[in-house]
Amino acid sequence: MLVLALVVIAAAAPLLTSYDPAAIVVQHYAGPQAPGPGHPLGTDTLGRDVWTRIAYGARTSLSVGALAMALSLVIGVTIGVVSGYFGGLVDATLMWVVDLVLTMPTLLLLIVLSAVLPPSLLTVPLVIGLVGWTTFARTVRGEVLSLRERDYVVAARALGASHARIMWRHLLPGVIPGVVVLAALGMSGAIGIDAGLSYLGLGVPHPTPSWGRMVSEFQTYFAVAPWLVVMPGVAISLGVIGFNLVGYGLTDILGTRRS
Amino acid sequence: MAGYLLRRVVRALSTLLGTTLILFLLVRVVPADPAVSIAGPKADPETLAAIRKDLGLDQPVAVQYARYLSQLARGDLGRSYVTGRRVADLIGQRLPATALLGLTSLAVGFLAGLATGMFTAARRGSAWDLAVLVVTLVGLSLPTFWVGNLLVYVFSHRLRLLPLQGYATWWHLVLPATTLGLAEFYFYARFVHTHVGDALGADYVRTARAKGVPSVRLYVRHALRNALIPIVTLLGLDIAGLMSGVVLTETVFNWPGLGRLAVQAVFSLDVPLMAGTVLFSAALVLVSNLVVDILYGVVDPRVQRG
Repeated sequence: MLVLALVVIAAAAPLLTSYDPAAIVVQHYAGPQAPGPGHPLGTDTLGRDVWTRIAYGARTSLSVGALAMALSLVIGVTIGVVSGYFGGLVDATLMWVVDLVLTMPTLLLLIVLSAVLPPSLLTVPLVIGLVGWTTFARTVRGEVLSLRERDYVVAARALGASHARIMWRHLLPGVIPGVVVLAALGMSGAIGIDAGLSYLGLGVPHPTPSWGRMVSEFQTYFAVAPWLVVMPGVAISLGVIGFNLVGYGLTDILGTRRS
Repeated sequence: MAGYLLRRVVRALSTLLGTTLILFLLVRVVPADPAVSIAGPKADPETLAAIRKDLGLDQPVAVQYARYLSQLARGDLGRSYVTGRRVADLIGQRLPATALLGLTSLAVGFLAGLATGMFTAARRGSAWDLAVLVVTLVGLSLPTFWVGNLLVYVFSHRLRLLPLQGYATWWHLVLPATTLGLAEFYFYARFVHTHVGDALGADYVRTARAKGVPSVRLYVRHALRNALIPIVTLLGLDIAGLMSGVVLTETVFNWPGLGRLAVQAVFSLDVPLMAGTVLFSAALVLVSNLVVDILYGVVDPRVQRG
């Protein structure tokens, strides 16, 4: 399973660079949609090659996903470690904040945030990241709670190490395996959410190719040119599946329990 | 029991309060002058000033928040900038559609998932086991809006069996409910498969089997009973997920529900409507979580001490 996952991801990466030839918006013919091969996946209503747009879309999706993931990770892990380590009131307050964020249905919150900030290549991951950190926080907190009582941590405290030092040098490394797994699974989630946002029209703005937006743009042409909608969807699915597999594979390797 | 209940309710209320605060702050950051949104770009300064005064925008922030809270307490969610109608009314109008879609999808997805999960749980290690895991993984990765489109293409366009979109007859419910229901199905099938499967491997089950308890009874009374708790908890917590799913599905099928209302609100920067819908959904989620917590406390008294 792991091999499959890695293959899929590896396949996505070279897409990023291998398709430089035709720039994203290749105006081939002035003619509208053309069927299947000739161009491997056909062309769209503006004469752009679908394959190229999908390939570049991979770049968009991956970067949005990665940025969002990074943000979620940083916020979530920080909160999780602090919360688990200090316990008590700090913990209670932070977990209450987690509940707060979780109470609002993700997509709804996302679309509201998108209204507040203008959609751009930067704001989309920002928004997704701001909403997605809760899983990291909770899992990390759980692990910290157990790690906290381990001998080496107790020893460090006895030796007078400062809180910050303990958290950074001792607890953080212990938390990493779990975090890595979550990161992979989170990527898959981020890609999916980004697709949804783009579909609604709140994702990355115009010339940049985005799989989700491609689906909504060509919905109306489904009857005549189904591949225009099918292809981006397949791409999204593969991306999500790929990262999910990576996540599961990592779980097996790292031997941590899935949350 | 009463202590547990009280704690839970207090927690829920405080979370709700926090939500209102966040929304209130969020709303103030939206790049649209409310007075202009209401009166239009050509309104003269006096009208704008009057509107602002009426909305209380000239007051300090804390006062505005207090005002907001008191309005909420009375069930007043404000008025839409675009249509001028009461947000609460708009929500009430759209709620049945969403409820119908959401509950149908959940029911179908849950029951199908439960049945499938139970079936495969008993057959661990066989081809069914692998099949379930693979199918659910793939299924959960498919974007809902895409699946919706595919279904429309196959069933409406090609086969001409079901209507394309809209909200007129019972037939119109089939495709959207299937789309959302599928997502739920994958989720529950996987979960039930894992949990019931685990439960079946437990000692007490083996004991029962050794005692000669017949299979069916084994599944239902022993394995399912114990796996039921997390499953039911999940049902309650899924409300939040449903709300998100509903947004996309309603958009694809032009289903006149809350999800689409929210999207429209965002596009027209209709602040009160946006805030209202989010607040309402948050409240729904809180209530269902509370219910789940209470049930959980009742079913498993150990929880009450925690």
